[in-house]
Amino acid sequence: MLAGAVVLWLLVNGAFYYTSKVRPGAFDQRHARNILIGGGIVLPVVVLTALLVWGLSILPDLRRPGDGLVIRVTGEQWWWRVEYWPEGADAPVVTANEIRLPVGQRTEIHLTSDKVIHSFWIPALGGKMDMFPGRETMISLAPEKVGTYRGQCAEFCGASHAWMAFAAVVMEEGAFDQWLANEAADAVEPVSEAAERGAKIFLTEGCGACHAVRGTDAVGQVGPDLTHVGSRQTLGAGRIKVTLDDLSDWISHTDLLKPEVKMPSYDLEPEQLSDLATYLEGLK
Amino acid sequence: MRGLTTLALLAGLGLGGAAAVVGFGLFNVSAQVGHLPGVTWVLHTTFRNSVSLRAPADDEVPPLSDPDLVSLGAGHYATACAMCHGAPGEPRSATARSMLPAPPPITEAVAHWEANELHWIIQNGAKMTGMPAWPVEKREDEVWAVVAFLVAIKGGTAPDVPSPTLTGTAYCQSCHGDIGGPVPRLDIQPADYLEAQLDAYLTGKRPSGIMAQAATHVPENSFAELAAYFSSKPAAPVPGLVPEEGLGAALAAQGTRDVPACLACHGGQETGKGPRLFGQNEAYLVSQLTLWRNGVLSHDALMAAAARELTDKEITTLSRYFASVGR
Repeated sequence: MLAGAVVLWLLVNGAFYYTSKVRPGAFDQRHARNILIGGGIVLPVVVLTALLVWGLSILPDLRRPGDGLVIRVTGEQWWWRVEYWPEGADAPVVTANEIRLPVGQRTEIHLTSDKVIHSFWIPALGGKMDMFPGRETMISLAPEKVGTYRGQCAEFCGASHAWMAFAAVVMEEGAFDQWLANEAADAVEPVSEAAERGAKIFLTEGCGACHAVRGTDAVGQVGPDLTHVGSRQTLGAGRIKVTLDDLSDWISHTDLLKPEVKMPSYDLEPEQLSDLATYLEGLK
Repeated sequence: MRGLTTLALLAGLGLGGAAAVVGFGLFNVSAQVGHLPGVTWVLHTTFRNSVSLRAPADDEVPPLSDPDLVSLGAGHYATACAMCHGAPGEPRSATARSMLPAPPPITEAVAHWEANELHWIIQNGAKMTGMPAWPVEKREDEVWAVVAFLVAIKGGTAPDVPSPTLTGTAYCQSCHGDIGGPVPRLDIQPADYLEAQLDAYLTGKRPSGIMAQAATHVPENSFAELAAYFSSKPAAPVPGLVPEEGLGAALAAQGTRDVPACLACHGGQETGKGPRLFGQNEAYLVSQLTLWRNGVLSHDALMAAAARELTDKEITTLSRYFASVGR
């Protein structure tokens, strides 16, 4: 894309230089007509037709059946509820705000929405697909290169639409299987005293009313599943990183980071906040 | 031109006269001398018409025959209304009778009005009559308790009004001990929760006209003592409801994608985040959840957020569930 931009830039500026410095003055009529017809009609028709044919030819790929894995994504305000359904699974692996895809495989992504229309878009991997409440749409993606790409909601969906993003991580197949197995497991036990205190605070402060941490008493379904939140690339749907400081900021100033978010900001003592962040960061 | 000058002169004289009446105190505000002829009729007719223009529609009147609702209304009436209107069948005080206008005896007052009009009058009060407005805004719901009592007076079925001389625990007990339904049980709550609620009612942080009146009727320095008394006093078990597992239990324990799990905060003895709900009166739970959902109650940010998307059906299911367990 960069190379193309450089070529175009050189062409435009070259033409400008040619007409102003190399050959100033008017063209004769025949030349002028040839430039208008050639550059104004023939060139765009040929280029756009070729692009249209190519574009239409790859369009069906976005609807091609996948190789087995199905990811079900529900648009929420303003985050992504994500379920992995490996082939033959009878229960999903639930997570949030991150899409992981095995490289070289075509994965079906089934899309729906909770209350308003969202749009699922990973620009580096494929086209957009809208997400509608009460209806399921599908896009299938076959990433060819391992890496982390950015995904973004591409349909205005409310105050924090711009903060509704996610990381799309394309992984080698083995690494993906290992990741999915870890994701399917219950949460790890807290390993430090601070994390243990944090786990207790998580329950007594009522966090479990909205968030699930599988393997504990927290079974809420309103907000993102936090069973492995510490292993995610981002917090708050692409909003910030998952460091101790970021977690503390998020818990204490939720609505500043994400206007009109459902989660209330928590007014905790600094030590409590730090314990809670330690616990969550440890949920790998 | 001359006509205009005359008009201006007359207007100036009129304004000057009015200013003199106000400025020199020429108008006699004595309640003893009464109104000038015709003024009573103008004021009263204005009052009648103003009320019937603004009263809620007939179909907004809820069922008012529930004896608990009537008793709650009588309890509020005892300290908030009886001082002027007297208890049914009892004479008003000589002082109340000397007001202008004199508050009518309650049996006479209710005879002229329908339930919807009574509701408007109690909610809004009436300017320049001495009739106060309800102590808080947006709690039209609890005004119906007093209306229920007044309608019972009209129908001749009203219970006795509790003695206005009751104080301390006996005063609180006159509603919280003897009435169920819309009046919450207190014995299931920890004392510090009860004390915090009394403070919140007194300051208006938690809006309730009935409890604001009650919180000003007992001395503020007795809140801790009252809270401790009611917290430790087990209420008589209420027979009736069949425990409902299933839908209500699942909703309370797990919530839905729109409704947080209640038990995360209201789970019982150990998780002390919210008040205890098991065994609470069903009608009280329904009314409070509805107020939270509608944004009338907002003194706790977590509960305000939690209740935002409750449906009416979920409210009745949850209330029935919590009321039926732990009796």
